[in-house]
Amino acid sequence: MKILIIEDEAELAKDIAQFLSSEDYLCESATNFTSAIEKINLYSYDCILLDLMLPGGDGIEILKEIKKQNKQDGVIIISAKNSLEDKINGLKIGADDYLAKPFHQSELSARIHSVIRRKQFDNSNIISQNELTIDTLSKIVSVDSIQINLTKKELDLLVFFIGNKNKVISKSALAEHLSGDVADMFDNHDFVYAHIKNLKRKLKNAGCPTYLTSVYGTGYKWKI
Amino acid sequence: MENMTRLLTKQLKTLSIFALFVLLCSIPAYYYVVDLIWLEELDEHNELIKERIENKFSTTEFSEDKLNEVLKLWNVLQPSTNIVVIDESKVREDFITEAERENEFEKGELDRYRILTSFIKINDKNYQLTVETNVEEAGETMAIIGLVTIFFFVILLLGFILINKRISLKIWQPFQTSLKKLKAFRLSDETKIAFDKTAIKEFAELNTELEQLISNNIEAYQRQKRFIENASHELQTPLAVLKSKLDLLLQSEDLTEKQSEIINAVALPLSRMTRLNKNLLILAKIENEQFSEKENLNLKNSIHENLELLEDYIKTKELKIELEVEPNYNLSANTFLLETLLSNLLTNAIKYSDTISTIKIKLTENLLKIINPGTQSLNQETLFDRFAVVSSSAINSGLGLAIVKETCLNNDWKITYSFDSNEHVFTIQF
Repeated sequence: MKILIIEDEAELAKDIAQFLSSEDYLCESATNFTSAIEKINLYSYDCILLDLMLPGGDGIEILKEIKKQNKQDGVIIISAKNSLEDKINGLKIGADDYLAKPFHQSELSARIHSVIRRKQFDNSNIISQNELTIDTLSKIVSVDSIQINLTKKELDLLVFFIGNKNKVISKSALAEHLSGDVADMFDNHDFVYAHIKNLKRKLKNAGCPTYLTSVYGTGYKWKI
Repeated sequence: MENMTRLLTKQLKTLSIFALFVLLCSIPAYYYVVDLIWLEELDEHNELIKERIENKFSTTEFSEDKLNEVLKLWNVLQPSTNIVVIDESKVREDFITEAERENEFEKGELDRYRILTSFIKINDKNYQLTVETNVEEAGETMAIIGLVTIFFFVILLLGFILINKRISLKIWQPFQTSLKKLKAFRLSDETKIAFDKTAIKEFAELNTELEQLISNNIEAYQRQKRFIENASHELQTPLAVLKSKLDLLLQSEDLTEKQSEIINAVALPLSRMTRLNKNLLILAKIENEQFSEKENLNLKNSIHENLELLEDYIKTKELKIELEVEPNYNLSANTFLLETLLSNLLTNAIKYSDTISTIKIKLTENLLKIINPGTQSLNQETLFDRFAVVSSSAINSGLGLAIVKETCLNNDWKITYSFDSNEHVFTIQF
């Protein structure tokens, strides 16, 4: 799967590519407006990460160009501006998601995963991995054919982990994923542990192998 | 402000005191002058009478006996003059004396007399002639002058007050207009004041200087705002790189537990910095009025949405939330700002409450109260200032309440804080 990273900060683009490299993603990057437009005209991507503030032009114009060409590429806006108008405007023009900088790589990865899933599998709501099947719309999770009851947050975590398989994810990244903006106002993220404990127990009870492991008590990993 | 006097009142006071002083000093001066003129006139008058008497006697021929008889009669019938025989040896130059005698008809009343003692010759014999005239008593003169002076002082005072009033109304009018405009001035509005033209040099000068000062201030304010916004924008990217580097570092295969702990220890202040930067940007944007888009929002829904986001933190601390919220209260506000305001207040309430305590949220009509238990009052004066809260809590941007205050200011809401029976109470009047 091909991903285009349109980001003027080369270091950040490199990190994103590296974080995604372990999955079967092929990352390319463009650091300015012109090269981004060139790449879009020439190739198709499964997902485009689009920074709005670029040397040479406004990222929104690139988004408009993608939509004008009627391309099916998924677009995630990654912006340092974090303004509601930009977000609303971007989504209205046709971006699939909006992520404010600075973000955790795991958060971006999970979102890319979700965008590609929706694009590639024709708006499918089904995530499956070995014996696990998750319907994100009806919120039904089953192990083989045994249905398990997960809370909204447990389901959220499960989807997040599957979108970040084999990655170590810090507790704060999980807290941020669950509570959004308010997470960085607190220094105690113990609640993450409680949700994970419950999720692990429910999966185990349904006969699911233990994919989820704790890493030194500071993070978690979905090992597969 | 309480002990302040108005400029004109102060001027009036000083002028009045000066006028009183001058008028009081004038009383003895007037008295002295009046008395001097008075005595001069009387002396002249006495001299005239003396000359007339002398003249009459010198032009009229009297025999010795007749003269004695006339003089005897004279001294009885002419009480203000007296002619007696005197020895040659006692004749001197004329001289003037003053005497006080009891009034013949009114007991106890002392009269003052001016006496001219003169020596004349009638029929070659020496006579002493005294002419005396009643002079007004010093006390009486003084009293009358005093009364007149006080009368004029009162007129002067009334005049001062009247003129003062007119001046304050008319001459100070441009000043009052300028003052009114200054009072209405708000730096954050960034609109310069156009002062009225005035023909008075001092006021014109003041207005020019004020205009200069204000425009400099606005410029400095804009520069500062731009600086904060640019600085936080510039900081976003390095923060983003740092955060992503830590995420990558965490993926290293051979990471030890110690290294993993260090990464987490770095992540914590990094997220604090991220929050700080975010808040600075929000403040700059509020000041730049970039949240002007308003929507009709249901406050109860907003509170519920916020509590949902905070649910995990409430559970962790085993807090009880007591909600007493009027369901139908809607208000026009910017979605993001209202969310941020509620989130900041609720986050504070959660953070600073002890575990297993109760947070109360009350909404009655347009009054929202967020109450949480505490042990001691916060400093009411600096509470809403930027970075005013000195807290031991590791994650505190010190800007949360500043944003709350700025949001309220921006929307013409009123926020107050009170500490009552071991409870922190934040009240917003929408």
